Parts: sequence; structure tokens; C-alpha cells
Amino acid sequence: MGWHEVTNPLQSSDVRDVPLNGRPADRDGIAAGADRPLRAYPFRQPFNWWLKRRGYFLYMIRELTSVPIAVWWLLFLVELARLRDGSGGYRPLEGWFVAVSVVCLVAAVWHSYTFLNLAGLIMRVPLGDRTVQPRVIVSAAFGGFALITVVVAGLIVWGGA
Amino acid sequence: MSAKHGYAPRPGPNRLQGLLWALFANAAVVAALIMPAHILVQGVLGPLGVLPSFDRHYATFAAAIGNPLVKIYLLLIMGACFYLCGHRVRYVIHELGVHGKLRVGLVMYGLAGIATVAGAYLLFTLP
Repeated sequence: MGWHEVTNPLQSSDVRDVPLNGRPADRDGIAAGADRPLRAYPFRQPFNWWLKRRGYFLYMIRELTSVPIAVWWLLFLVELARLRDGSGGYRPLEGWFVAVSVVCLVAAVWHSYTFLNLAGLIMRVPLGDRTVQPRVIVSAAFGGFALITVVVAGLIVWGGA
Repeated sequence: MSAKHGYAPRPGPNRLQGLLWALFANAAVVAALIMPAHILVQGVLGPLGVLPSFDRHYATFAAAIGNPLVKIYLLLIMGACFYLCGHRVRYVIHELGVHGKLRVGLVMYGLAGIATVAGAYLLFTLP
């Protein structure tokens, strides 16, 4: 499928005369010729454009991974609020929290994988008259991820022991 | 340029836009490096009893939250994640064809701010 098929075909209503109230330069800095009206091309993108290609779908999934992560923190705030009930009344979140957390974990890992992979693309680290290879940057990012995961998990476990 | 059409960039750098994207990049890195460990241990392994987690019992939870460094750490991480969510959802809504990016942005950043303030209130009003 070509890129041009993603958007709706141009419709006759898309091209219309724009009333300029006699001040064409106010619109976009381009004065219309006296014999030709200005044309406007309104944005027209189908709502489901992101379902038309696998890459678009994965892009949308990547963007929305941030939602389960935020939801997980909201659930943590619920747990934090329950701390006010005192030692006798405190109840950690129940079994359903595990199911929700598994979904949030998949989203968080997908966010980590996609974002750390981008590091090689967006970072330029000068090294003499060249730059560090992107695959070296990505390897370092994933190495740092593994190290930080072990340290953070260790601290959480140590705090609960 | 007429404000009602509003699609021509203003002259000069858009510093606010730069700040929002810089915050996003930092929040995304923080979330990418730290969040899987939190969710794995606190959300899955801790509740299943595979590993201990500080928030499963009152004594360990209260002791951890009693440390000001832990409070600041948790607030920074959750604030980054709320901002990350607000920023990304703002652009998703825009890309789905909803106009009014400024208004959507105000709502999304506002929600992220409210959640962060709620977290700060809970963290810093506990003993």
C-alpha cells in the first residue's frame, strides 16, 4: 500500500475559496492574484490510519505504553493511602493487582526496549574525529538497564526483608 | 499572520516546546531504566510471595516511606511517569485528528500535575 492510500482521497469540498475580507496577506503571507482565489487544504486524516500498517500500529502501541505505567503508579498511590490505616488496618492490594501489574510490566518492558533502541539513533557521542558506533551506544544502554534493574530490584527486596 | 489560522510558526525558537520535549526525553529515559524493576518486584513477584517487597507489610512500608530520600525518589519517578503519559497521550490525541493541541495539552499536563501533587501530598503527609 502506498503512503498516499493512507489518507482519504481529496474531495471536492476540500478545495474552497477562503473569504479574506479584502486582506489576503493576513492569511498566510501570500497574496492571492487578483484573478485567482486562495485555496485551503483542510487536514483530513482518517481516524483509523494507525490500523492500516503494522508499523503505524506498533508506533501507536509504543506511544500508549505510558498509560499502563501511569495507571500502575496510581495503584501505588492507593496502597500509599492505605498506609494511613495504621499497622492494624493496612492491606496491600489484592490478587487482581498481580494481573494488572503483568499488563503494566509488558508495557514498561516494551517502552524500555523501544526507547533504549532509539538511543543509537538519536545520540551522537564524539570520539576523536569520529563518533561512537550506534550499536555500541545501544549495547551500553541495555547494559545500564540490566544493571539498574538489578540494583533497584535489590533495594526493593532489601526494604521488604 | 492572522491568529485565527495560526499554522505559521512564530519567528525565533519555541523555547516552551523545547522544554516540554526535553522533559519528555528525560522522563522517558527514567521510566525505561527504572520502571520494569518496580513493577516486576512490587507488582508481580512481591504479591505472589516469590520475593519480599517493602510495600507488602505495614512495618517495612512505613519504614521505607519514613526515609526522606525514598520519598523524594518515589516522587521524582512517579512525576516523570505521569508527565511521560500526559505528553505522549497529548500527541496521540492530536495524531488521531483531534484539533486544539494547546487545550488538549493543558488538560493532559494538568492531569499529570494533579496526580503528581496527590502523590507528593500522600508521601509527605505520612509520618
